[in-house]
Amino acid sequence: MRQIRPYCLTVGVRLELVRGRASAPASAVSPEALPAADATPVRTRVVDAALDCIARQGVAKTTLDDVARRAGCSRATVYRAFPGGKDAVLRAVVDTEVSRFFSALAVRMGTANDIEDVLVAGMHEAALGITGHRALSRLLCHEPETVLSQLAFARMDEALALTCQFTAPFLGRWLDPAESRRVAEWAARIVVSYLACPADGVDLTDPVQVRRLVCLFVLPGIRTLVPARTRTDAASRGRSSPATFATDPYPSTEGEVS
Amino acid sequence: MDARQRILEATYACVARFGVSKTTVEDAAREAGLSRATVYRYFPGGRDELVDAVVSWQYLVFFGQLYEEVRGAASLEEVLERGLAYARQAVLEHEVLQKILDTEPEVLMPKLTVESNRTVGLIAGFLVPYLVEHGLAEGVELHEAADFVARMILSYISSPGHWDLGDPAQVATLVRTELLAGVVAGPGTGPGLTPP
Repeated sequence: MRQIRPYCLTVGVRLELVRGRASAPASAVSPEALPAADATPVRTRVVDAALDCIARQGVAKTTLDDVARRAGCSRATVYRAFPGGKDAVLRAVVDTEVSRFFSALAVRMGTANDIEDVLVAGMHEAALGITGHRALSRLLCHEPETVLSQLAFARMDEALALTCQFTAPFLGRWLDPAESRRVAEWAARIVVSYLACPADGVDLTDPVQVRRLVCLFVLPGIRTLVPARTRTDAASRGRSSPATFATDPYPSTEGEVS
Repeated sequence: MDARQRILEATYACVARFGVSKTTVEDAAREAGLSRATVYRYFPGGRDELVDAVVSWQYLVFFGQLYEEVRGAASLEEVLERGLAYARQAVLEHEVLQKILDTEPEVLMPKLTVESNRTVGLIAGFLVPYLVEHGLAEGVELHEAADFVARMILSYISSPGHWDLGDPAQVATLVRTELLAGVVAGPGTGPGLTPP
């Protein structure tokens, strides 16, 4: 069986969820499938079924027959909803999961009230979303090359850019758009690094450790970007220790990229 | 050159020509002027073990060259600026690496990931004396500072994101903000820094 590669993350992924987008009614449903009263569109059921199959047996071993059986419909029905076959189904699965991931980040980051909290919220939620994802964990364990090959070198640049698109706006209350993009990309980079290459004492699923990382390394970096603004913000909350608001060692912003 | 090294170099030459997936033990043996049996004696795991060994060796070569490039640096900032610029260029100019990334990236993963994890420690170790000399920010431990800077370096080398590491001004800014801002106590005495 030919090796199917998961659809790589591209900057064109939309935020709208796959669920509810299609309205094709279920047809030729097999006896042991969902009850007729269930109005879940075929497309949704196929995507959910595919995700479930992948979580249990991985990508290579998941066939469209497996997916059809799990979705409670015929193979023909699956092909009608996804003329592109397994590739198209995988593409939809990745789109859905990526959308869910960023939706969860949006919820967490949207409720934060200062720049420290928004970074901690985003990074922590990202770590939870990645480490807690059943199908992804299964792939990383048994077929790591399928995931890692889509997240290395230039593909990682794409993934960082995509992440930036979704998360940078949440920094907009404190940073201008260019600064927000830069910080968002940096924070994503940090999360990926610590998840891909674990370090002692840095467990990003622990919000306390995430906060420490943010305060130790990220906030000072932001202060070298916009020293006056963030210093005032944080100082007014009395949150940080005096040491972190010592004279800004690098006040000049010459040579900055915007 | 010993037989093992000859086999590695021969395999690398085959990979450069045919790619990883199409390189066989026979190809490597023929290129090295050795018998298949000899190759299997050094690499009983066969093709997979051979490919792993070539990746490890090339990894060492890459970071050995990087080390040569930065070892004379006078300051922490200089190490990082020179290192980032050189390493990024080396990655872009590495024809075999780029070809594999283009056509069969999955054969490099997760091997590259495993090697990277090991390399973070090596880079961190190299940076320690420079960090000590420069002085750390309050509340930052030496090993976590070295670890953070090391993993960031690896990340930028392979995936610089929006940064243009061919532009010295951008590299200097990157080093000052995303690598060192939280790590060091204040401006060092190295060249190219803006005094407070």
